Amino acid sequence: MKAVVWHGKHNVQVDRVPDPQILNPRDAIIRVTLSGICGSDLHLYNGIVPTMKEGDILGHEFMGVVVELGSGVTNLSKGDRVVVPFPISCGDCWYCKQGLWSLCDNSNPNSFLLEKLYGDTGAGIFGYSHLYGGYAGGQAEYVRVPYADVGMHKVPEELSDEQVLFLTDIFPTGYQAAENCSIRDGDTVAVWGCGPVGLLAMKSAQHLGATNVIGIDRFPERLEMAKRHCDAEVINYEEQDVTEALHHMTGGRGPDACIDAVGTEAHGSGMEAAYDMVKQTLRLESDRPIALRQLIRACRKGGTVSIPGVYSGFVDKMPMGSVFAKGLTLRAGQTHVHRYLDPLMKLIVSGAIDTSFIITHRMALEDAPAGYRLFNEKKDGCIKIVLNPRLASGASA
Amino acid sequence: MELTEAVSRIGARMKSRKVNVGHTERNASLVGGAALAVTGIKALTGRRYLPGLAMMVAGGMFLYRGKTGFCGLYQALGVDTSENAAGGVLIETFVTINRTPQQVYEFWRNLENLPSFMRHLESVEVTGENTSHWKARGPAGVTVEWDAEMVADYPGQLILWRSTGEAALPNEGTVEFREAPGDRGTELKVSIRYYPPGDGPGKAAAKMANAITGAQIEEDLKRLKQILETGETATAERTNNH
Repeated sequence: MKAVVWHGKHNVQVDRVPDPQILNPRDAIIRVTLSGICGSDLHLYNGIVPTMKEGDILGHEFMGVVVELGSGVTNLSKGDRVVVPFPISCGDCWYCKQGLWSLCDNSNPNSFLLEKLYGDTGAGIFGYSHLYGGYAGGQAEYVRVPYADVGMHKVPEELSDEQVLFLTDIFPTGYQAAENCSIRDGDTVAVWGCGPVGLLAMKSAQHLGATNVIGIDRFPERLEMAKRHCDAEVINYEEQDVTEALHHMTGGRGPDACIDAVGTEAHGSGMEAAYDMVKQTLRLESDRPIALRQLIRACRKGGTVSIPGVYSGFVDKMPMGSVFAKGLTLRAGQTHVHRYLDPLMKLIVSGAIDTSFIITHRMALEDAPAGYRLFNEKKDGCIKIVLNPRLASGASA
Repeated sequence: MELTEAVSRIGARMKSRKVNVGHTERNASLVGGAALAVTGIKALTGRRYLPGLAMMVAGGMFLYRGKTGFCGLYQALGVDTSENAAGGVLIETFVTINRTPQQVYEFWRNLENLPSFMRHLESVEVTGENTSHWKARGPAGVTVEWDAEMVADYPGQLILWRSTGEAALPNEGTVEFREAPGDRGTELKVSIRYYPPGDGPGKAAAKMANAITGAQIEEDLKRLKQILETGETATAERTNNH
């Protein structure tokens, strides 16, 4: 089969690789019909996440049609159209039973690596480094899905692939980020990063009752999308001082909740940004927490800082004094996708939230290398690329 | 044997804090610590307060470490110089499994299940009511075999075994099954003690002994947890050909 394969920093290629096989009773194989390139894939592309190996198949946002089932999967049939949550979760351990699916105890065969790094392990993730299990990803023609009885969700016929694809990651991720803000009527939620997760966090925040949402970015097309589709006020951080602008927009209080939809590769301006860029490049610091520092300073007293953006290691100069003095609540983590599938599917079916507006590029699977380049350089107004294995190369739309 | 006695037998050397300082070093710590403390007191009487206090604190730390065999600094650094002290090598590992103590016990008590999650075990054959024959495969394909007997067996609570006869790698161990609080399943504690032979060239048992580590046993227990909780062992392989 064809698959998008990581060969090194800034080097992904479409290779011929062996088709996946059923290895465990609870496995399934799906033929992929659509997959996304996620902003967090760019952390792999840029070589920020450790333990990638040449030959790894990328992709953790994908859906498709069941072509093969292990003997232990009885709740699905061949031919079912399904979405697949990006965390691989067993459904049986204490964490899964608590709804903390992305903290699954059992699905990461390399758990000892994460334990060394973080003190404990999280779930395996499709196509996301050997720290997260070394599983083959879904930017391919076929994927093996472990624990398929709990790791696949049937899609109603009337919905198109593009309508439901983002249930695999970014919609639940934006939603969980907003839910973590414990939003109350009258709240203002500020979102750093108007990429797919940021945009869907804004939509979710409004759905959960926020009175105002504010989007912060530097790309005009992203800010425009936040205004047009998410009814947000916007701040371009290259033109305005973010903290001051937020201060003005909230009567001097600061936003009630702040969402970091940027993560480890934040850009900024001035000395502080240069400091982190140099340190990260020299590997003296694994993450660039420029956005996170701003969130903490800007957030109102007693407010919530919600972090869906990916961090992978150590950060410098965290304003813990501010966290303490203002009594902030910090919430973070990978998304427990499984628990949002039913409720968010209902929102899509009822038309309450449409997530397909974020797609700016539809490409053939074979054109993925060009897609990665385009997305990483934020060229051509690129916000979200979806890859279709059935499209002919060059037939991108 | 009473249950409490059985536990204290294997647990005699592993009270609340583990010994992680070797014998010679402990004696040196006692002597050096005492000397340092005395010098510190002398310094205090000579009105050199700061250096005096510092020496007393450091001296006290060495005394404590010599007396208890536990060093906080060593623990923080992950250093353990006690391993080859008399009494063999002790490995303790813990895991919580989301099944009842009885369920975990029953799986373990069927000793022939052990090779399904213990990577170095090739087979365990039950040879009598309390006896079994074990076969392990280590690095470079070396194999070591021994007979073992069950010394204590308290269903749902504890299993204690030891090797018998002229085992090349004498060993003993306990498995304790405790109900975890708040419906979290079973806290499993596995203690294995083995007595490595001399490090002669080509000695299979010595090679085998080097392969048995805490990290290895922890991985084994993770596989046990996967089997009991999910019914299968997690793998990220793509095909059977690997």
